[in-house]
This record gives sequence, C-alpha cells and structure tokens, in this order.
Amino acid sequence: MTVQQVLFGLETDYIGHPYYVSGNAIFHALAPHLDRRTLDAIGVSHGVFVPGQFGVYPDDHSQAGSHPAMGNTLIEPESYADFFLKREQAHSWLLDSKPRDAMNSYQIRVQSGELAMATETFHGRAEHKRQQTDTTQWNIHCYLHSDDPSVLPLPDGVLDGLQFGGRRNFGYGITELKQTATFTLSELSFTELEDADRYLVKFITPYVLTSEHPNTTPHNIPWWWEHETPLRRREEKIAEERELYDLTVVDHGQVVGYGGSEPIKTAKKGIRRIGTHSKYGFGELRVIPVDEESE
Amino acid sequence: MTTDEEMLRVYRHDAHKTRGRPHAHAVDELAGVPVNLKVPYGADANAAALSRPSGSPSQTVETYESHYRLSLLSGESRYDPESFNIGQYRDEIHDLLSVEDALEMHERWLTSELMGAFNESVHYPYTSLKYHTLLVAALVANYRRGAEFEDLWVVVDGPDEITPHRTIFAGETFNLRVTANPAGEPRARLGSRPWRSWASTWERMTEHPQLLPEQIDQRHRKREMFLDAQLRRIQAWSTALQYIEDFVSELGAE
Repeated sequence: MTVQQVLFGLETDYIGHPYYVSGNAIFHALAPHLDRRTLDAIGVSHGVFVPGQFGVYPDDHSQAGSHPAMGNTLIEPESYADFFLKREQAHSWLLDSKPRDAMNSYQIRVQSGELAMATETFHGRAEHKRQQTDTTQWNIHCYLHSDDPSVLPLPDGVLDGLQFGGRRNFGYGITELKQTATFTLSELSFTELEDADRYLVKFITPYVLTSEHPNTTPHNIPWWWEHETPLRRREEKIAEERELYDLTVVDHGQVVGYGGSEPIKTAKKGIRRIGTHSKYGFGELRVIPVDEESE
Repeated sequence: MTTDEEMLRVYRHDAHKTRGRPHAHAVDELAGVPVNLKVPYGADANAAALSRPSGSPSQTVETYESHYRLSLLSGESRYDPESFNIGQYRDEIHDLLSVEDALEMHERWLTSELMGAFNESVHYPYTSLKYHTLLVAALVANYRRGAEFEDLWVVVDGPDEITPHRTIFAGETFNLRVTANPAGEPRARLGSRPWRSWASTWERMTEHPQLLPEQIDQRHRKREMFLDAQLRRIQAWSTALQYIEDFVSELGAE
C-alpha cells in the first residue's frame, strides 16, 4: 500500500466542519482533477488541523530532540508511532515553554452569524499581533492511500489551491499545498507493537455505525473493542452531489481495550481505516501498546 | 451556617494573586482575612499539575507578563492592564473573601466572573484563578474523605445540581463535579496522576452534555461543535473550564 501524506496551509478563513476537514470534502475537492480510475483506487483521510509551530518529538517517536518547523513540515515516518505525529488533535509535540493551548485552539471569527476558523491565531498582547512569535498559522494534514502503485503520489498541481468548507464562492477555505511525502506501508516498522503487555485502540476519526447513504449497510461495534460502558455516539453528515446523508458514528477520541490477538495486523487495518465510508476518512484507528511497568 | 475553616482556607489560599504578586512577596492578608495559605493533602500542587507543566515555570507568552488572564476566546485580557484599577473591584473581592460560610463561599466562587479575570500564574496567562481554586477545593473535599487522586472521576450533573465543594463548574446547561463515587452519570476517570489531561479526559467521557442553551437550528448546533472541537484540543483544566464559560457568554446565543 502506498501512502501519500499531504500538508496544506490555510490561506483564508474556513467555514466548515470544526473537528476536521472530512476526507469526503477533500475527495470531492480533488475529484474534478482526477480520472475515474484514480478516484476508484484512492482513499482519503480526514484532514487534521495542525498549528504551524515549533515542536519536540514525543517519547514514542523514533527521533528525539526538537524541530523548529515541526508543525509546518512533513517528517518521514520510520515507525508506526511516527505516522500519528500530526494525526492527533492534542498535538503532544507542542512545547511546554510556549502557550500551547493558545497555539492549538483556533481563533473564531463571526461572519454573518456563522463561526469561521481564522487562518492564524494570535497569542500575547493585541498591540504585538504583528510579531511573528505571537502568531500561529494553521495547516491541515491528511493522507491518501492506494493499493495500486501507479496512482500515487498525486502531482503537486492537483493538490495546490484546493478549497474546503462552506461559502467557497465567497473565498473561504482556500488552501495552498505546503508539502507532500510518499512512503509504502511495508517500509514502516511495527516492532513497538510486538510483545506489549496489553493494547488499547484509539479512534482517531469517527467509526460509522449507520449511514443513510444508499448502498451502505449498518455496522456493529467490532467484537475486539473492549469497553465497560456504552461508547459515546454522535450524529454526523456526509455530503454527495448536494445531498446530505445522516450518519450515526462512534465519536472520535475515545479509547477501548484491544481484545484481538494480532495487533500489528489491526494497526495496518487502522491506517487503511475500517467500516462504512472508510474510503472518505472514517474509521481511522491507532493501536497503542501498554507496558504495565511504565504505568 | 457551617463553619468549615479548612475549606474557607482553600478558597482564600491564592487570593493574593489578584494583586499580582508571587507567593514569596505576596500580601498575607486581604479583607482582614489571611491569604497566601498552604493547602493540605498536596491538593494545590495536584490542581496546579492539571493546568500547568511540571518543573520550574518560565514565561510562555513573551509579550505578556501580568496577573490578568488572557482569554483564549478573544485573545485579549478581559481588563486592560494599563487602565484596570483593582480598586474598583476591591470591595467585590473583599466581600467574597470574607464570607464565613464555606458552602456559600463555594457557590460564590462558582458564579464569580471577577475571579476569572486573573490567571493562576503570570507565566501561564491563559489559566484561570477561578477554576484553579475550584479544582483545589474539589480535591481537598475528596482527599479528606480518604479518596486518592486515582479514585477520582469527573461527572456531568444537571445545571441545578451543586454538590458542596465538589462541583467545579456550574453552567446554564450542565455542571461538572469531581467525585470518587460516580452513580451512572456521564463520566470519565481523572487517571493515575494529575497532568494537563483536560482534552484526553473530555474525549473519554461516556457522554457529552449539551454545551449551549437551546439548540435552535443547524447553525446553533454548529456553534456547539465549535466549542466541542476546541475542548478536544485544550490541555489545561482551568483554561478549558474558563473557555466554556467565556464561549457560552459570548457566543452562546445568536
């Protein structure tokens, strides 16, 4: 499987889904530029909002130390944990010596009663707004994947200048392509998932239980998710050709125990995503190894 | 009236921060009551760890060093540090600190807008003195009944349900409480040790409450999603709780 990571920079304010840019929205922004064979062969992940900031590699990353452009650049993943560096919205790589919560929350602008996410966040005194140290630019991170080795990577020209969210006619949601980087899943090391005492599964994006979209069937909660209380659900919508379809999803961010016996296989499936509308970003999972001693 | 000196001390312990002085150089008395006090059971340190990194603090916002809180929502200080005159509000602060009934003191803190004007440390200007103090109170109230940190949960209550000292947030549509004995409410464990775990805890809640009053239409629902999206990104507890209060008050209605 070929994976192409893409980092977009947000050029104008965004009026769209506040949790993420859905894989469906990215897919439909790409569609006019791609042939049917390519569209059939690719899956598109949700786009995660990433603050364009300094960072320090998290403990589980294969590299150590700090990176001045961590939020503004793609870092080639060597291990499974590396792959998730920019996929979790808490962005644990942000520096504690900076106002990390201010950097990782977006500023809201009210536009005719609708809330818009501003392209940049200021932190500090208003009169210092123009100082670079007090400003964070927003990026969007997503990945495309395909089993057909001939379709990825997509050329830069196709990825540059895409527009996401609402009110696009008014110029909202314009992005620029910052960077792309391509690797194959077989290059990624999964050794961290060998021999852990136990494993958890975290939902990076929602898992679809039911969809009103035709040609879909309801999915149950997989048997290998272990949880004592019912999982939190949420209503969601997916758009296609101006039609909106209602979804019921297991909300992202939740964590369950892993009851299966093949964590590496599950981890690979989790990157490829599971369940209904997985082609469009839903059902992305991360397997987390837990060693009881370090608890 | 209940006399609970231990809890009264908790609500007064950091009041010197309204004057913008660190512990070492702080006034020891405000409104005729002692402030700048030690809190038992290590609750102050644990509550601090919920909102600030460990280790020696450093200035996180280079261009801002003030005890007036910066709002994550507006990016501004609620009060302009150049013109804000603490004298204007001295009576209100003194009135609050001199309350002798611990239960009334708790409820007054829950509804005090003024105490949210200050941060819990000048190094971390987006934190909130109000919610830090309420978190300390909730920890003390649980610890003195024998609970340890790892026994604790945050649970969702209705907006009218206030449990003495344990309610840490009182809003228009829901309240939040720290307890060792959840009874089926929407909930999440606080974890094995205190850290800046707000986003992680919020994401593990078994149910999320309705965040804004009366959902009128789709546009309103989207406002609620904006708030929820931010709550999944903020790590400091006092910052997040204050953010809910600010968001509801400024963007909660059309």
